[in-house]
Amino acid sequence: MKLSKTICSLAIAAMAGFAGLAHAQWKPSKPIEVIVHTAPGGGNDVLARAMVQMLEKENLLPVRMQVLNRPGGNGAVAAAAIAEKKGDPHTLGVVSSAWIANALVTREAKVTLHDLTPVAGLLQEPALIAVRTDSPFKTLKEFVDAAKAKPGTLKQSGGSVTSRDNIIRQTLQQSTGARWAFVSFPGGGERLAALLGGHVDMMVIEPQEAGEQIRAGKLRVLTQISDKPLSGFPNVPNLKQSGFDVGSSPQIRGLMAPPDFPKDALAYYEDLFLKLSKTASWKKYVDDYQLEDSYMNGAGLGKTITAIENDLRNQYQQAGVKTVR
Amino acid sequence: MDILNGLMQGFSVALTPMNLAMCFLGCLLGTIVGVLPGLGPPATIAMLLPLTFKMDPTGAMIMLAGIYYGAKYGGSTTSILLNVPGESSSVVTCLDGYQMARQGRAGAALGISAIASFVAGTIGTVLLMLVAPPLAKLSLAFSSPEYFALMVLGLAMVVLLAGDSLTKALLAMTFGLWIAGMGTDLFTATSRFTFGQTELLGGIDFVIVAIGIFAVGEVMANMEPEKPLDMLPVPKGLKNLFPTLQDLKDCRFAFMNGSIIGFFIGVLPGAGATISSFLSYGLEKAVSKHPEKFGTGVIEGVAAPEGANNADTAGALVPLLTLGIPGSGTTAILLAALVLWGFKPGPMFIEDSPAMFWGLVASMYIGNVVLLILNLPLVTVFAQLLRMPGYVMYPLILGVSMVGIYTINSSVFQLCLLAVFGLVGYAMRKLDFPTAPLVLGLVLGDSMEKALRQSLMMSQGDLSILFRPIPAVLLSIAAFLLIVPLIKKFNSVRAQVIDKEA
Repeated sequence: MKLSKTICSLAIAAMAGFAGLAHAQWKPSKPIEVIVHTAPGGGNDVLARAMVQMLEKENLLPVRMQVLNRPGGNGAVAAAAIAEKKGDPHTLGVVSSAWIANALVTREAKVTLHDLTPVAGLLQEPALIAVRTDSPFKTLKEFVDAAKAKPGTLKQSGGSVTSRDNIIRQTLQQSTGARWAFVSFPGGGERLAALLGGHVDMMVIEPQEAGEQIRAGKLRVLTQISDKPLSGFPNVPNLKQSGFDVGSSPQIRGLMAPPDFPKDALAYYEDLFLKLSKTASWKKYVDDYQLEDSYMNGAGLGKTITAIENDLRNQYQQAGVKTVR
Repeated sequence: MDILNGLMQGFSVALTPMNLAMCFLGCLLGTIVGVLPGLGPPATIAMLLPLTFKMDPTGAMIMLAGIYYGAKYGGSTTSILLNVPGESSSVVTCLDGYQMARQGRAGAALGISAIASFVAGTIGTVLLMLVAPPLAKLSLAFSSPEYFALMVLGLAMVVLLAGDSLTKALLAMTFGLWIAGMGTDLFTATSRFTFGQTELLGGIDFVIVAIGIFAVGEVMANMEPEKPLDMLPVPKGLKNLFPTLQDLKDCRFAFMNGSIIGFFIGVLPGAGATISSFLSYGLEKAVSKHPEKFGTGVIEGVAAPEGANNADTAGALVPLLTLGIPGSGTTAILLAALVLWGFKPGPMFIEDSPAMFWGLVASMYIGNVVLLILNLPLVTVFAQLLRMPGYVMYPLILGVSMVGIYTINSSVFQLCLLAVFGLVGYAMRKLDFPTAPLVLGLVLGDSMEKALRQSLMMSQGDLSILFRPIPAVLLSIAAFLLIVPLIKKFNSVRAQVIDKEA
C-alpha cells in the first residue's frame, strides 16, 4: 500500500517534471504553510482545509500542506505574518475580498495585498438577494420601488459596513434613489435569524446557505448576483435581468505569497492550482457550495485585486465610509 | 409516539460498536480539550474535520458533538484547581470553585461539577428531543431589542457579584465594558482604542483577560507573604473527596436552575454559554438563603453555572438542527461539517436525515453517562494535584496560563497582554476591587452595544422598540435588581437616624 502510494506520487512528480520542464524546475522540499485570517471554522479556514484535503487526495503535492490561523484585524494580522516570510517559497496565504476592503478603511493595517505576491485566483462567490416567502415583494424592482416610496422603512440584514452586502445596497440605492436601512450582524446565523423572524425585510445570502431555506418554503430569491447563471437557480434573474444595469465587485478567494517570491516557485504554484482546479474533487466542492470556478494566474489575480480596490474605494467614498488609502 | 420510535431508531444507530467507540472517543477528547485552557472545542473540531471525511458521517457527528459537550465537563477542572478558566463558560466556576479548593474541598467541587454537568446535560437532551421544533420557531421572535434587554439584565447582576462596595464593582464593570469596546467597529469600520496596533484591531480575546486577572493576578498575590507558602489541605480517604449527601441536597435547585437557564439561553442564537453560566449563577445567588456566602466557596455556586454551560450545548443544537442557523462558533463549524459530508442542514434536516438526528440525540444520552463515569475517577487524580507545594504549584499555574494563551493564536503580543491583565488583576486584589464584574462587563458589553445599535437602526432611532413586551419585562427585572440595594441602604440609614434620635 505504502509502496504503491510512493510509486504513484513518484510517477506524478515525474509527469509534472516533464510537463513543466521548460519553466518549473523548483519543487517544494518541506511542508508548506498556508496562512488564513480567520479562526478555525471561518470561511477562508474551511476553504484552506478543504483545499489541503483535495491536494492530498489527488496526490498533487510531494509534501504536506498545513493551515496556520492568524486571526485578527480582518486579515491585517495574517497579511503581516505573510509579509514577514519575505522570499520564503514554502509560505502561502488564502486571501479574500475582505482583505482588500479592510486595508482600505483601516490605518493600522500596515501590510496590504500590494506588498504581497499574487499567486492564483481560485473562486468567485456569487450571492442571492432573498426575502421571506410571506413578503409582498416578488421581484427586486418591487422591493426597490417600495423603498423609494417610503424611504428608510425597509431593512436589510448584513455584515460589516464594508461587506459586499452593503456595497450591493449602496450600488442599488445610488442608481435608483431608493433608500433602506442596513443592520449589521457579526454572524451569518444572526443575519438569517433576523430575516426569518421578520425583524428585517431582505438579505444578501450565500447560495448554499439559502438553498435549504428555499426548499423548506421559508425564503424566496429575487435576484442572483453572479456572472454565470448558477446551476441551482436556473430561473432566477441576475441584476441586469431584474432591471438594474449595475456592476458588482466580485467576491474573490485566492492565494498570495510573501514579497520577493522566487519566480520559479511562483510558476510551480500557478501550475499546481491550475491542476487542482481541474480535478473532480474541486468541481464537486464548487458545485456543492454553488461557487464560481474562476482560476486566474498570479498576474491576473493582481489585476483583479487592483480593479476591486478601485471599485470599493469609489463605493466607500460615495457611501461616506472614510478610506485611508 | 413519534418521539419514542425516533429514539428507538436513534439508539439502534448509536449503540453500534463503531458509533459507541466514536462517542467515547469524542467524550475523551472533549474532556482533554476542556481541561487544557486556551484550546477550545471550535479549534479542535476544525482541526479534526479533514480526518472525518473518510468516516461514516453519523459516527463523525457523534464524535464531534462529544467533543463539544465533553469540553464543558473538563472546563471546570482548571477553574477549580488553579483559578484558570479552561473554557470561557467556566469563568464563573472560578468564583466559588477555587475558594472551595482552597478550603480543601476541591474534590467536592470537581465532583459536583461532574454531577451537575451530567444532570443538566441529560435534561438538556430531553428538552432537545421534546421541544426542539416549536422552540426554534419561538426563538426567532427574539431579536436585537430582546438581546439588548437580556444583556442589560445580565449586567444588572453586577449587584449580586459586588463585594462590599457597589461603587467599586460598578467601576470594575465599566472597565470591562471599555475593553469590550476595543477593536474594529462593525457598524462603521472605525478602529476604537487600538493605539495603532494591528493586533488590537480584532479586540482583546475574553479568555486572555479572564486568565490574566483570575490566574496570574492570584499567583502574584500569593507570592507576597514572606512566610513559606502553605500547601492547600486535601482530605485523606476516597470518601472525603466526593460531594456529600448534604451537598447534593443543597444543589437540588442549582441543578434545575442550571438545566433550564442553560438550555433556553442556548437556544437563542447570539447569546452563548458564558452568558447562561453568569445568569444561572446570578439566579442561584438571588434565591439563596445565604447569598452573602457566594464567592467564598459555596457548592451551589459551582453546580449552577456548570449545569448551565452543559445544558447550553443541547440548546445550541436546536437552531442548528431545526433551522440550519448556527448560534455559536462551535455550531458554525458543525454546520460546515454537515455540508461537507453532503447533508443539508436546514428546516427539513430532521425529516430528511432522521437517522443522523436521532442517532445524535441517543448518543448524547450515552455520552453524558460516559462522561460521568470518565470524570468521577478523575476527581481523585486531580484533587491530588493540590498536594503540590507552592513552589511547584504557582509556576505551574503560570505555565499552564501562558501555554493556553499561546495556543489560541501563537501570538507573543497576546502573551504580553496576559502579563498586563495579570498586573491589573493584582492591583485589583490589592485595592479590594471585585474582579468578576470586570469579566461580566467584558462578556456582555460587546453584544449589548451591538444589540442596542441594531435595535435603533431597525426602529430608525425610535426608543420605543426597547419596550415591546419581552424586553420590557427583562428591563423591569433589571431595574428591580438595581433598586433593591438602594432601598436596603436607605432603610439602614433611616434606622441609624431613628436610633440616634431615640
